[in-house]
Amino acid sequence: MAAMEIHFTLNGQPVAVQAEPDEMLLEVLRRELGLRSVRETCGLGICGACTALLNGQPISTCILLAPLAEGCDITTVEGLGGRHPVQRAFEEVQAFQCGYCTPGMILTIKALLEEQPEPDEETIRRALGGNLCRCGCYLKIIQATQRAAVLLAEERRRQVERSAASTS
Amino acid sequence: MPEPEMPAANSADAASLSNAHYPEPDPRVTGAIRYAQDVELPDMLYACVVRSPYPHARVLRVDTSALPADVVALTPDDVRSLGLYGCQIKDQQVVAIERALYIGDPVAAVAAASPRAAREAAELIEVDYEELPAVFDAVEAMQPGAPLLHPDLAISDNDAAYFGMRPEPERNVCHHFRIRHGDIERGFAEAEVIVEETYHTPSAQHVPMEPHACLARWTPDGRLEVWTGTQTPFNLRMDLAGIFGLPQERIRIIAPPMGGAFGSKTFVRYEAIVACLARKAGRPVKLVLRRDEEWLTLNRHPATIHVKLGARRDGTLVAKQVTCWANTGAYADCGPGVAQKMGFASPGPYRIPHVWVDSYCVYTNLPSNGAFRGYGATQAVWASERTMDLLAERLGLDPLELRLKNVLVDGDRYCTGEIMHDVHFADCLKAVAERIGWQHGRRGKGLAVLLKGMQTPSRASIVVEANEDGSYTVHCATAEMGQGAWRAIRMLAAEQLGVPVERVHFPVPDTDIVPYDTRTTSSRSTYMMGRALVEAVRQLKEHGELGYGECINEGGLDPDTGQGIASTHWHQGAAAAEVRLDEETGKLEVLHLHTAIYAGRVVNPPAAQLQNEGSMIMGLGSALFEEITFADGQVTNANLSDYNIPAADDLPRITYDLIERPGAEIHGLGETALPPVPAAIGNALFSLGIHVRDLPLTPERVLEASERRSASSAAAV
Repeated sequence: MAAMEIHFTLNGQPVAVQAEPDEMLLEVLRRELGLRSVRETCGLGICGACTALLNGQPISTCILLAPLAEGCDITTVEGLGGRHPVQRAFEEVQAFQCGYCTPGMILTIKALLEEQPEPDEETIRRALGGNLCRCGCYLKIIQATQRAAVLLAEERRRQVERSAASTS
Repeated sequence: MPEPEMPAANSADAASLSNAHYPEPDPRVTGAIRYAQDVELPDMLYACVVRSPYPHARVLRVDTSALPADVVALTPDDVRSLGLYGCQIKDQQVVAIERALYIGDPVAAVAAASPRAAREAAELIEVDYEELPAVFDAVEAMQPGAPLLHPDLAISDNDAAYFGMRPEPERNVCHHFRIRHGDIERGFAEAEVIVEETYHTPSAQHVPMEPHACLARWTPDGRLEVWTGTQTPFNLRMDLAGIFGLPQERIRIIAPPMGGAFGSKTFVRYEAIVACLARKAGRPVKLVLRRDEEWLTLNRHPATIHVKLGARRDGTLVAKQVTCWANTGAYADCGPGVAQKMGFASPGPYRIPHVWVDSYCVYTNLPSNGAFRGYGATQAVWASERTMDLLAERLGLDPLELRLKNVLVDGDRYCTGEIMHDVHFADCLKAVAERIGWQHGRRGKGLAVLLKGMQTPSRASIVVEANEDGSYTVHCATAEMGQGAWRAIRMLAAEQLGVPVERVHFPVPDTDIVPYDTRTTSSRSTYMMGRALVEAVRQLKEHGELGYGECINEGGLDPDTGQGIASTHWHQGAAAAEVRLDEETGKLEVLHLHTAIYAGRVVNPPAAQLQNEGSMIMGLGSALFEEITFADGQVTNANLSDYNIPAADDLPRITYDLIERPGAEIHGLGETALPPVPAAIGNALFSLGIHVRDLPLTPERVLEASERRSASSAAAV
C-alpha cells in the first residue's frame, strides 16, 4: 500500500506525517513523531494505555485508523507540560507504580474534570472503565482525581479573581 | 558504538519524593520514562516469532525459501549446535529442534526492517509437522502411558537451581518435593475428625501492561549485549553464557525499568532468540511481543491440591497430608521452585505434629508456567485455608477460634523443623476479623491466613560510590518494575549516608557494572539490599570513595524430607472478606476486603501501600474471574476482551493494616496480600452454605455448588 500524508494538530503544533492507510494512529505517533507516552497493551481499545485526546475526548489510538486523525486536534500527555493540575495531583498522591498506564489515566481524568468538575467517586470509577492499571493503583488514582478536582477549582478561582481585578 | 537513549534512573523517581518543591516532574506523569520496549539502536531489525499450531508435534521441515532476501530467518538448523537452557532444568532449546511441545512453542523466527515486515515474513515460513499425542492435565500426565515430554533431562547449572531437584522423567515429573514430619499414620489414627477435599486453581496471566521486550546486539569483538525487561539479569546472563558457550563476562545485560512484570519477566524469555537473530543478521534485533503472545510465554501454574486434615474434637490439629500437582507446562522454567514453595506453604502457619507433603511439578503440553506474584502460595492457601473452614464447620467451631488455637507463635517449630521467630499470624488474623466486623456476626464473612517464604538461600551485593559533586551512586542489580525498589534502596542509602535522597543516584542496572544479586523476586530486594547497604556505607565511610556490602541468606530444605530452613524470615498476612450473593444468578459481590500484613518496618509508605493495594486487587481478580481457558491446549482467551483483569469499577471497599514493630526487620510486601484474598472470599461464600472447590468463583461455579447443596439436602430429607 502506498503511504499517505496526514495532517493534524499535535499538542498545539501542526504536523504532517507519512502513514500507511491501514495503520493505527498509535503506530504513527510512536514511529513518526517519537511519542513514547502512548503505549500499546491490548491492541483492542480496552485498556487505555494508548489514550490520546481527539478534539478533547479520550480515544484509544490503537484502534483509530491514522487517516481518520486528518484535521483533528490531538493531545498526548507530552502536551500537558508536566505541571498540569492532574499531573500534580498524581505526584502528590503517588498514584502510580510502573507508570505505564499513567499518561492515559491522566488524559481520561483531564477530560472527565472538564466535563464534570466535581465528580463523585462512582462517576470517577465509571469514567476509568476504559483505563486499566495492572499494578492496581486505582484507590490512589481515584484520590488523585479528587485532588485534581480541587486543584482545578483553585485555578479557576484564581482566574476569576485575576479577571475581576483587571476589570475593576 | 552508539548507546541507546536510556532513562536516568534517578530521574525516574527523583521527583516523586513529596508534594513540595520538586525539580522535575516525575517521568511517569510526563510520559518521559523509557521502558525496555522503548530502547532503540541505529540499524536495528525487528523480530517476529513463528510458533507451533500443535500441542505436540515433530518438526519435520522449516522452509524459508519464500522469504524476501532482506529478511533474516532463524531455523532449527541455526540453533542445533547451541546449548540447552533452563533456569532449574535444562530442557529448552532456542527454538524447538525435534519436537514442538505446546501451541505457541517457537519453531523459527525472523528479523526484518519493520515490525510489519517481520510479521508478514513470519507468515511466509512454512513448517511441516507430524502431530503427536498430547496431555494437558497434570494428574493425567503422571499416569502410565501418558506422552512423555522430556524423557531425558538434566539439572541446570544456573544458580537458580538452588535446591536438590528430584526429577522423575518417566512420569513427566521434573521435581518431587516431600515433607516428612512426624508419623502421618499415627497422626490420622489419633485424629477424632478428618476432613478431606480436592481443589483446583487455574492458570492465570500476569498481564504486565508493557509486553516482553528485548534488544540484542553483538559487538565487533564478539560480546553479546542485551537490553531487556528482566527481573533476573544475572540468571539470564548465566543461561545465555551456556547457550552460546561464552564466559559470563562476555555477556552484558542491561535492565531498564519495566511496565509491570509480576514474575513474568524472569530468566530467559526471548533474549536467546533475538541474540541468535542479531548474530546472523550482523545488526541489532529487537522484539516486542504482541499481546496474545503473552499467554504463550509464561503463565501461572494451574494446580490441583488434595488436602486431608485431622484434628481432635477440641480443634487441635494433629495430622495433615497434602498432595500438590503443579502443572508447569512444556518446559520446567522455575516450576520446580514453585512446586517446592507450594509444598511448604500448604501446611499453613499452624502447629501440626504430623505432616506429609508430596508436591509434584509436572510437564504437560501447555505453555510454560513459572513465577507469578504469590509463587505457589495462592494455590496452596486456597486449598489449605478452605479446608480449615470445612474442619471448623464439622467441629462446630468459630473459624477464627480454630485458627487462633493452632497458629504458630514465636518459638514454635514449623513442619520443616525450623523454629519460628518474629511471627505475627495471630495479630494479623485478629486485625482482619475486627475490621470485617466478625464479632457482630459471621454470615457472609470469611478469613484466611498466609505464610510465605522468601527466597532462601540468596545473595545480594551492592556498591556505593561517592561522586566528586558530593552525590552518591549505588550500583545495584535490583530491577524496577513499578514496585518502587530503586527508590526504597535510594532512601535507605540516603538515610545511612545522611544526605537527601536526591543526592543518591541509581543508574539502570548493567551487569558489566553492578555486583551480583540473586534476582528481583520473592519480595526480597528491599530487605536483602537494605542489609547489604549497611556494610557498603560503613566501608565507604572508612575508605572515602567506594564501599561494598553483601548480604548472604543461608538455608534451604532437604527435598526428600522437607527439613531445613525454608525461609530465613516469613511473609505473613491475613485477609477477610464480606460478600453478598445473588442466589438467582450466582453473582458474588464482594462488599469489603481487608488485609493485615506484617511489614516489620515500612521504608517508603506510599510504595508499601501501593504494593499492598495492588496485591489485594490482583487477588480479587484471581478470586472472581481470572482464568486462562484452553481447548485441546489452545488458549481460548488470549486477549483483554476475553481475559478480564480488575478495573476501577470492580473494586469493593478495600482497607488494610501494615503492621510494624519497633526495631523489626524490613519484610517484603510485594505479594503477601494476594494469596489469602481468594481463600477469604471463598470462605465467606462457604459461610452462606456454598462450597466451591475451584477458582475463580464465577456465577456458573457458584450456581453449580448451590444446586449441589440443594440436591444433597433434598436427598437428606
